[in-house]
Amino acid sequence: MVTTSCDLLEFSPNDTRAPTSERDLTRKNLAALAQRPVPTSGDTLRFVFTSDSQRYYDDVPPLVASINQQRGLAMVLVGGDISDFGTAREMRWVNDEFKKLNVPYLTVVGNHDLTQNGREAYQKIFGPLNYTFTHAGTRFILVNTNGREYEFNGHVPDVPWLQQQLADTVGVQRQVVMAHVPPDDGDFDASVMPAYTSALEQAPRLVLHLTGHNDKFYVRQPVPGRVTYISGYSVAQRNYLLLTLWGRHQYKLETISY
Amino acid sequence: MWHTATLLAGLLLSGWSATAQSTEAPTPHPWYVPDHAVLQTGGGIGMITAGAGYSPGSHPHRFDTDVLVGYVPARYTGHRAFAIFTVKATYSPFSVRLAERWRLLPLSVGGLVNYTPAAQINRNSADKYGYRGYYWWTPTLRAGAFLGSRVALGLPRATGGKREVSLYYELGTNDLYVVSYLPNHKGLSLGQILTLGVGAKVDL
Repeated sequence: MVTTSCDLLEFSPNDTRAPTSERDLTRKNLAALAQRPVPTSGDTLRFVFTSDSQRYYDDVPPLVASINQQRGLAMVLVGGDISDFGTAREMRWVNDEFKKLNVPYLTVVGNHDLTQNGREAYQKIFGPLNYTFTHAGTRFILVNTNGREYEFNGHVPDVPWLQQQLADTVGVQRQVVMAHVPPDDGDFDASVMPAYTSALEQAPRLVLHLTGHNDKFYVRQPVPGRVTYISGYSVAQRNYLLLTLWGRHQYKLETISY
Repeated sequence: MWHTATLLAGLLLSGWSATAQSTEAPTPHPWYVPDHAVLQTGGGIGMITAGAGYSPGSHPHRFDTDVLVGYVPARYTGHRAFAIFTVKATYSPFSVRLAERWRLLPLSVGGLVNYTPAAQINRNSADKYGYRGYYWWTPTLRAGAFLGSRVALGLPRATGGKREVSLYYELGTNDLYVVSYLPNHKGLSLGQILTLGVGAKVDL
């Protein structure tokens, strides 16, 4: 694969230039998702959760090939750290592979995506750092929790924004939050953590909280019967999670190796 | 892209005609006057990059050392314009005579270090992830290496001697792209980590 001459003529590794087809990917992938019928029947929704593709380019094509074999899949969620150095080129390298997925993919920003000029590059290539969308009666809330990249300024994650999104339940049967840094991690802003977790625990329709960052798979439910916190696999771990939701709170979790 | 090309061509042509009409004597420069001026686009060191350098030794442009300042406008950085400061060394071991006044330097190899002090570049301060040695690279300093070629036209000075005007290209990469590529021969191709720089040099 050879880049075009305009790509080659790079002004800086920190520049945010990209062809139109490789900009605003979040908006475009959401539009593609909205146009697709939900492939599962009833109120069932199935999606893949993977994370931390950063500088593991060799592991991405096998991941895409494996995901493309799954049936009934609506989309793929990527839990951040798409890049290692926050450069537009890295994000575009990963998109070069993820665009081969049979279903749309959606990302949340990771701490590595915010290094160097990544804050601008991520917004140019993907889109907003906080956003939501609703699909198959499920409201997905994608929130920037990389507090350490903002010197723990008390505003990341944006809890008032999160509360607003969690409160908006019109036409929503269940909710899923995806973030990069989990709230019990040292890279999460400790001053915001109590307000963040209490907002989550008080949201009656929130089923799952998905995170990446620490390459460690676990499932926890600190308050019985309430939100389940899932820390997913990184791309380099050669595993991903296949999640199937139905009803108000039911879900099935499968680990797929590739 | 076209703006860049037009600008570069314009600046080059104005430099060219000034050179052709020059009548100044080829008196030896004081040491602090550079041997040549440089104008470049791309190569990871700016959209418009200007500089000056020395060619130590008896063969012109066999070995060049240049200092350059690059500019990347805000529309390509997402926020504010970048200034990029670069130190570059280029070695061209061969010179092939093409015509009476033309010669080709078929191979140039070089390296550079550049610094981008822009405030919007998120620094990897030691208190960030220092506990893991996690962010090991410097976000504002980049090292690069390149291969290229150059074609040069010798123009006579009115009082003897000549000055060269040359055009060059460089295919290069930087340290971050190399460490991305090295463990990922299947997931990345060499073409994906390449950058192109195109420029002109005029002897002073």
